[in-house]
Amino acid sequence: MSKGSRDRAVKARQIVAEQKAAERRRTVTLWTSVAVVVVLFVAGLIGYTVLSGQDEGKVTTPGTAVDEGTAFATGSGPVTVDVYEDFMCPSCGNFEAATGPTLKRLATDGKITLRFHPVAILDRFSNGTEYSTRSAAASAAAAEEGKFTEFHDALYANQPAENTDGLSDARMIELAATVGLTSDTFKNAVNEGTYKAWATRATETFLGRDHTGTPTIVVDGKTLTGENNTVPSAELITETVEKAAG
Amino acid sequence: METTRQIRMAAAWPWISTAARLGLAAVWLVAGSLKIGDLAASARAVHAYQLMSYDTAKIAGAVQPFLEIALGLLLLIGLATRFTAAISAALITIFIAGIVWAWAQGLRIDCGCFSTGGDLAAGESTGYGVDILRDLAFLALSGILVWRPRTRFSLDGVFMGER
Repeated sequence: MSKGSRDRAVKARQIVAEQKAAERRRTVTLWTSVAVVVVLFVAGLIGYTVLSGQDEGKVTTPGTAVDEGTAFATGSGPVTVDVYEDFMCPSCGNFEAATGPTLKRLATDGKITLRFHPVAILDRFSNGTEYSTRSAAASAAAAEEGKFTEFHDALYANQPAENTDGLSDARMIELAATVGLTSDTFKNAVNEGTYKAWATRATETFLGRDHTGTPTIVVDGKTLTGENNTVPSAELITETVEKAAG
Repeated sequence: METTRQIRMAAAWPWISTAARLGLAAVWLVAGSLKIGDLAASARAVHAYQLMSYDTAKIAGAVQPFLEIALGLLLLIGLATRFTAAISAALITIFIAGIVWAWAQGLRIDCGCFSTGGDLAAGESTGYGVDILRDLAFLALSGILVWRPRTRFSLDGVFMGER
């Protein structure tokens, strides 16, 4: 074989080898990509399955609850004011201190129907004790004994700071006693967490109504906010209520 | 001397890419595992952006942590690195867009990047700028991998017959 044809043969082998390598890369890229798509699809499907399989447990809805069983009402005025609150939320604590008395007066004067919706969106701020859910559930138990407002006010007057354990069940029962709520039915409901599944469902309803934060104040079906998405003041609420009453 | 430098860089790139791959894998694994324990909170984090209804946010919030962990594992073993890096880049871009949106809308939320997010407690600052910078750094990691997907200790390498 001449030198020239030997070089050509070497070159040809090289080209064939390169082509084979390139083809192998293409095949590997194709099939690994297919595998990745399958893996991601399955992962997403697992997430979806876990979500649909989540069981909220047996929901005991308090008999006194109104508005799809999510709220406790005071007063029977013509304008409805809905207040969504988390007992852990500092901003709700401020709202209660600043505006709570005004709302109660409007309710007593027969101007509004005041509906409190306890929701639990801040469980992550109580070191795993899920104070938001526990307190919302306890407030439902208080409502069943006709003491919702009193207990609600007591919880806000003793509001724990975020990133603490929150109030223990025993402490909530103690606070209830200070407002004359001492029945065994209440104590058992708090200790057994009877209304915890209800609190979760009420929170779902709240979120399903496309509210995202607490406190959310809804007057006559319309979400009311102050300037720049702030919590509305007592004056603004009173004004809006009067306008709605006509 | 130019050629020596080029040869050195050619030798260094697989190692740079390997670091990027493992770094990005860690990012996804951490981000996903922080959310996977509380899917309801994850759903609220998505919902807080006010971009979709709660029912849609619930699905997105449940699927997202599983996707993040899957991407993390795929990058860890180095399967279809360029493709997974491209998907990562796309996801991170969506996250950045979400944060920019929240910022522009004046929403006061925790981005939910490494937490279960949701509305911020009073007194917490939003820190959108920092969140975006961090996401841009992750985007850069993905970019390196899309550009130079060849890495050491990867399944890709094994399948390609590299040594």
